Amino acid sequence: MPGFTTLKYSKDGPVAHISLNRPQALNAYNIQMRDDFAGALEAVQEDPDVRSLLITGRGRAFCAGADLTEFGRAPSQTIARQVRWERDVWGQMLRLTKPVVAAVHGYCIGSGVEIALLCDLRIAAEETIFALPEVHLGMIPAAGGTQTLPRSVGRSPALHLLLTGRRLDAMEALSLRLLTRVVPQDVLLEEGLSLARQLAELDSEFSASAKDCIRRGTDLPLAQALDLESRSAARALA
Amino acid sequence: MIPPGHIDYRCDGPLATLTLDNPQVDNRIDAAMAEELRDACGTICQDDSVRLVVITGKGISFSVGRTDLADCQGPAGGLDSVLKHQAAASLAELPVPVLAAVNGDALDQGLELALAADLRIAAADARFGFDGLGQGPIPWDGGTQRLPRLIGPSWALDMILTGRMIDANLALEIGLVNCVVPADKLLNETRKLAEKVLAGAPIAARYAKEAVQKGMDLPLDQGLRLEADLNILLHSTSDRAEGLQAFREKRDAKFSGR
Repeated sequence: MPGFTTLKYSKDGPVAHISLNRPQALNAYNIQMRDDFAGALEAVQEDPDVRSLLITGRGRAFCAGADLTEFGRAPSQTIARQVRWERDVWGQMLRLTKPVVAAVHGYCIGSGVEIALLCDLRIAAEETIFALPEVHLGMIPAAGGTQTLPRSVGRSPALHLLLTGRRLDAMEALSLRLLTRVVPQDVLLEEGLSLARQLAELDSEFSASAKDCIRRGTDLPLAQALDLESRSAARALA
Repeated sequence: MIPPGHIDYRCDGPLATLTLDNPQVDNRIDAAMAEELRDACGTICQDDSVRLVVITGKGISFSVGRTDLADCQGPAGGLDSVLKHQAAASLAELPVPVLAAVNGDALDQGLELALAADLRIAAADARFGFDGLGQGPIPWDGGTQRLPRLIGPSWALDMILTGRMIDANLALEIGLVNCVVPADKLLNETRKLAEKVLAGAPIAARYAKEAVQKGMDLPLDQGLRLEADLNILLHSTSDRAEGLQAFREKRDAKFSGR
């Protein structure tokens, strides 16, 4: 079992569980966590026993955002750009063929929302607070949020959140389609695990092609997307 | 400033307000108003001090109706006439966020104009709809494209084919507007929403709009590239440094737009 500083990685049968583990910093996403994520996601993808992934946060928050003391300090923009693609954990997450569940609670702010949006299913505890404060800090989301958020909630609601930085609670997040389920805090982990277990029982090729068809297909003209679906189904049946 | 006509264009610091100002005909957009709107948007594009545009209507309607193009076919034919009467694109192409304060009915081309804004706040008595295909040709100011992208194809087809009228509460429910407020509070609530947007960093707000609006027309991987490039450009702004500094010092940031 790989050991990480900022994440707890464990396995429960076929379910891999990544728990953000900087509770003293409300699980703020930092450079060490980025590197730990890269390693953990590689383990998830490579390990043939792992059939689904659950992502949660330890302590009072799922993730209160990026650790702003660490990011944006690259010596130059060219180096920042190079590093973004050399350490592309978000692309790595999107390329995971195994189904991923995020079970969030407490504060789910900035990068926290973005990490959840890179997962296939999102559930939240009733008291969860969401916000994307980047624009009010002089930046924009950097973990895909400007792309994944409007693809989940639509352009205008996405811009409403991004341009005002306003907070929303779990019920509003549910009605905006940022989430698909809200549960009481005390059963969040249990619900997350049971969802991940359910997904682990799926034929892995079927779930991988469903993910791929939906993610890629929604960006294609319908005729091409239908072709993608036909070919994926035919390949899975072969 | 443009000469007085049927668009009232005012700047209050970073906030530009465009008011459709021909209440005698419910602010129906005609070729002259469309041209004025294009000119005003052109002026705004050149003015870096403008950070947010509010569009609203004078009187009881936002904007109702559309010009019957069958009556005004020019020598260059139908397309020429359509282009001359279009108004929504000039609003949609603004680089800064655009907020439509829908003070009353937004029908036909008036609805198409409201759809070109990034955000819509509506008075509780506002209604939304098209005349329906029984009355004329298909919408020609972006309605067949912007409406389904906002509320999905089923609702868009229901509205465009049947001419169904949607009230403000249903509009909120189906995602046609972002918020609904009592009619007498619209001005106040619009100002509050504008202040929230204006409290953000100016360049970051423009880039957030660009990343979302342009990125949604791209495949996800290219959208992610766009986001990353815009982010790295933001690294060069002093507002980003100020934002971080203010966060560390637990105070509100003072952004300069640089």
